[in-house]
Amino acid sequence: MADTEDAGTSSVSEPLDLVRLSLDEIVFVKLRGDRELKGRLHAYDSHCNLVLGDVEETIYVVEDDDNEEETIRTIKKQEEMLFVRGDSVVLISPQA
Amino acid sequence: MSFFGFDTTLPRDRASLNDRRGFFEAPDPFAEVARARAQAHQDADDDDVIDFEDTYDGLGDQLNDDQDAFNDDTFGGAGGAGPVGKDFDFFGKTAQVADAIGEEQFRYSLQKPGVPAGAPAAAAQPPAETALAEAQPKRTGYEKYQDPGYIPDLQAKSSVWGMPSKPEPTSQSQSQMMSQARRMMSLEEVEAQLRRQPASIPTQLPVSLPHSMPALPQPIQRVHMPLPEDFPQLPPEILQAQFAKGVPPQLLHQPPMTPEGYPLPAHAPNMPLHLLQNANLPPQHMVGPQRQAMSPAPQRPQQQQPPPPPQGPRGNNTQQMPVITNAQQLMHLTEEQRMAYFMEDAKRAKRNHKIFLLSKGNGLMTPQDKNFITRIQLQQLVAAAGNMADSDAEAVLAEDFYYQVYSQIRGAPRQHPHQPLGHFAQTYLLQTGNRLGGHGSRRQFQSADNHMQRMQQQVQRAVEAAKQKPKNKQLIIEGSLGKISFSNAKTPKPMLNIKRPESSEGANSAKKPHTDLSLSDRKSVLTNLEGVYSTLMEMEDMERTMPPPPDENDAEAIQKHMEWRQNIRSLNQKLWRELKVMEPIVPNTNTPHPFIAFLSYPKGKKAIPRIFRHIDQEQRVTILTMIVVHLDSLDVVRRAQPVPGETQPSLAVREAIELFSQAVMPSLLGYVNEAPFNIIIGLLGLVIAQTHVQMVAKTRIGLGVLTMLLSRAEIVKEAGQATERDWQQWVEKFNVLFDTLEPTFADIFPSSINAGDDMYVWQFLAAVGIGASPEQQQRLVIAVKDRVMETVTYSKTLPADMASQRLNNVNLFMRAIGLDVELLG
Amino acid sequence: MENGAPSEGKDPSAFLSEIISAPVTVKLNSGVVYKGELQSVDGYMNIALEKSEEFVNGILTRSYGDAFIRGNNVLYISAQ
Repeated sequence: MADTEDAGTSSVSEPLDLVRLSLDEIVFVKLRGDRELKGRLHAYDSHCNLVLGDVEETIYVVEDDDNEEETIRTIKKQEEMLFVRGDSVVLISPQA
Repeated sequence: MSFFGFDTTLPRDRASLNDRRGFFEAPDPFAEVARARAQAHQDADDDDVIDFEDTYDGLGDQLNDDQDAFNDDTFGGAGGAGPVGKDFDFFGKTAQVADAIGEEQFRYSLQKPGVPAGAPAAAAQPPAETALAEAQPKRTGYEKYQDPGYIPDLQAKSSVWGMPSKPEPTSQSQSQMMSQARRMMSLEEVEAQLRRQPASIPTQLPVSLPHSMPALPQPIQRVHMPLPEDFPQLPPEILQAQFAKGVPPQLLHQPPMTPEGYPLPAHAPNMPLHLLQNANLPPQHMVGPQRQAMSPAPQRPQQQQPPPPPQGPRGNNTQQMPVITNAQQLMHLTEEQRMAYFMEDAKRAKRNHKIFLLSKGNGLMTPQDKNFITRIQLQQLVAAAGNMADSDAEAVLAEDFYYQVYSQIRGAPRQHPHQPLGHFAQTYLLQTGNRLGGHGSRRQFQSADNHMQRMQQQVQRAVEAAKQKPKNKQLIIEGSLGKISFSNAKTPKPMLNIKRPESSEGANSAKKPHTDLSLSDRKSVLTNLEGVYSTLMEMEDMERTMPPPPDENDAEAIQKHMEWRQNIRSLNQKLWRELKVMEPIVPNTNTPHPFIAFLSYPKGKKAIPRIFRHIDQEQRVTILTMIVVHLDSLDVVRRAQPVPGETQPSLAVREAIELFSQAVMPSLLGYVNEAPFNIIIGLLGLVIAQTHVQMVAKTRIGLGVLTMLLSRAEIVKEAGQATERDWQQWVEKFNVLFDTLEPTFADIFPSSINAGDDMYVWQFLAAVGIGASPEQQQRLVIAVKDRVMETVTYSKTLPADMASQRLNNVNLFMRAIGLDVELLG
Repeated sequence: MENGAPSEGKDPSAFLSEIISAPVTVKLNSGVVYKGELQSVDGYMNIALEKSEEFVNGILTRSYGDAFIRGNNVLYISAQ
């Protein structure tokens, strides 16, 4: 919660503080299964369950073409509101 | 002894009393009844076979009476001794059919006088009926049933029969069968049948059954099965003897013919059934109230349909009575009367049907129940509305957290925060409480109150219990294997026990220079923001717990108030520090001022209205000054600069602008509208001196701030509040602004005419136009006339309503300088 | 573990506390590697990195100003 100390001290004393500071901000979320989300962080908890608003989801699909070369196809989806179960979260990064 | 446990010798004993009379010799049916009654009483004395005490199954003793004290609460407290009136709320809906009940009671009482013992059926039953009924040897045990006092025994006797509730229908159906047969047969035929009976009954009865009651439901048919078993045991002589003795057969009818007017002691469970059956009765049969009490009522139509033989004495009897108990009676009525009867009967059938339909929800809630629920709801309303705020602010918050917080954030203008909102609800509670207590005893009023108290206590206990339950505690069991910690949903089990960075002071301090590089780096600003919000919430919470205005004579209250004020002041200081407004302005730097960085986050913008509620005018003007000085470095100005090739800023920027317009601008405007003129002058001077005005003017927020200042100055001037010196100062600044902006007047519009809303531009131009000198106005018109013409032309291609909107915007400006778009037409 | 051994390297917690704000390499179970300044770690091995770079198969794929890594994905943390 509120640090009564001066803001000179490090604002991140534990990793989840980083997520807390990003509340109501746009965050980038990397999920298992080559999925990425970008949206406004409305809520989170200690499991990294997330509620995101105005989300763009990007899914990377690896496809073998005729020459046995792997191409990566991206699928994008828009969601107005998303609940992300924490166990699929790999990384959360606030978007500056 | 017979199969049913009746002493079959009894009829013979009894026969001696009746043997002098034949059925048709009875001049007065009531005499028969009276005799039967006397006989019945005699039987009661000496008949040890059917004795109440012997047959009573004792279920009544098992009743749990200890809750009876609450009967008054449940039923409205008429008191056991009082008569059961119409308002006896057995079904809750009973009151709605009070008319019907009253009517039936009236009918019953009309019939009753002739037969005080409560055997009205005797009058209705033709004496001829006895001829056949007498053939039933079983009737002999039933004489006593003519006494209404025996009605409850019906149930008790079920144990004797070994078939609960069946005896009743059996006797009914027997007698009904007989009565039907009676109407169709002459006496000779009856006799002939009786002679045949001992041998033929087992076959005959089933044969006659489908005949007389084809539509009978299964259970009732089954009821007749015991009969044949019984008959063979009776020697034909007995049957004959009984027949000769003329024992009044109608006595058999007494048990089922419980008058409706009775409080239904043993029949209560049958009530709905009656209603149903009544509803099914064809309207052409006027059914006497006592007949409604008979369970197998549907049989009636069939029985009464055969044209009856004329019955002299009976006919006379019924003629005197206003109640039609038999289809035959209808024959004696005039067409008009009959119609009236039909109508009335149809009406009642309809009503009964309605009652039946309504009765589905019966008994679920009494009016008292409903009232009770209403009171609970209102009690909660009163609590939530702040009635208890005086004593316990926490309780109010717990009652309606979101409303309370919302109203704190909004600063809902509650004029008298300590006057309870729930006046209405309270008044209602009080009055209904009085009303409830009014018609009852004092004890009742208290009990109503007790309900509420109990409910409250219960809720309180539940809340306490919930509080005591440990929250989110890591469950650790210490046993022989050492500490075992479990994780749960709220607190996953940590894998490592990592010491907080305090222990690594060295590492932290090594890093510190890095974070201190700028107070405006992202994390610092976000941390500030978090601090601001925390403090805001604290202040909002403090406001909620503001003590009432101190009484001069109450030192303690004054002390409390002082403490509270002190708390608020320190919170205000904390908030002010966290806002970083007073951080020194570093000129010529790329890093924005911490406060401006604060404002660049949506969270920061959204905080402004809440912040403004908790700071004083001086702090507000400081914030306003800060914004004005940094106008061109505000994100909503800096990032909103028109980009060549783009008709409008990016979506994110537009969202930021929108948010700034809705969250920050109203707060600023609120201050500016009350600001003294010299401050307005000073602010305009700062814009001119400190910012890139031409750049500012190309953005919606920049123009908005400028418009704000210009229009305030104009209002001050109009109101005559500006001193000559101030005004001179203002005009000076204004001229500088005008000269600076003149070259770009044409560029302050959105780049494209159809890029959307340009009203804010026209508003600004109007504000400039009003304050401008005639010469400046002319220059202004020259600068923007192209855009004016363009808009007028463009609006002609638009639908009427959109066109008029655009033209109205232009007119904002045109009228400010004394023109009108109409003139351009 | 519980004795809070002062000797370096014996206690994972102590080690993690020491490398706070130092440049670290974090490898995930998936093989993805992150390099950056360690802001903080907690008991679940959740990690906050500053100025971090993401390497997939050794190739730099992304950089983040700040990154929170959920602990269950972490294979190891090493000081660079």
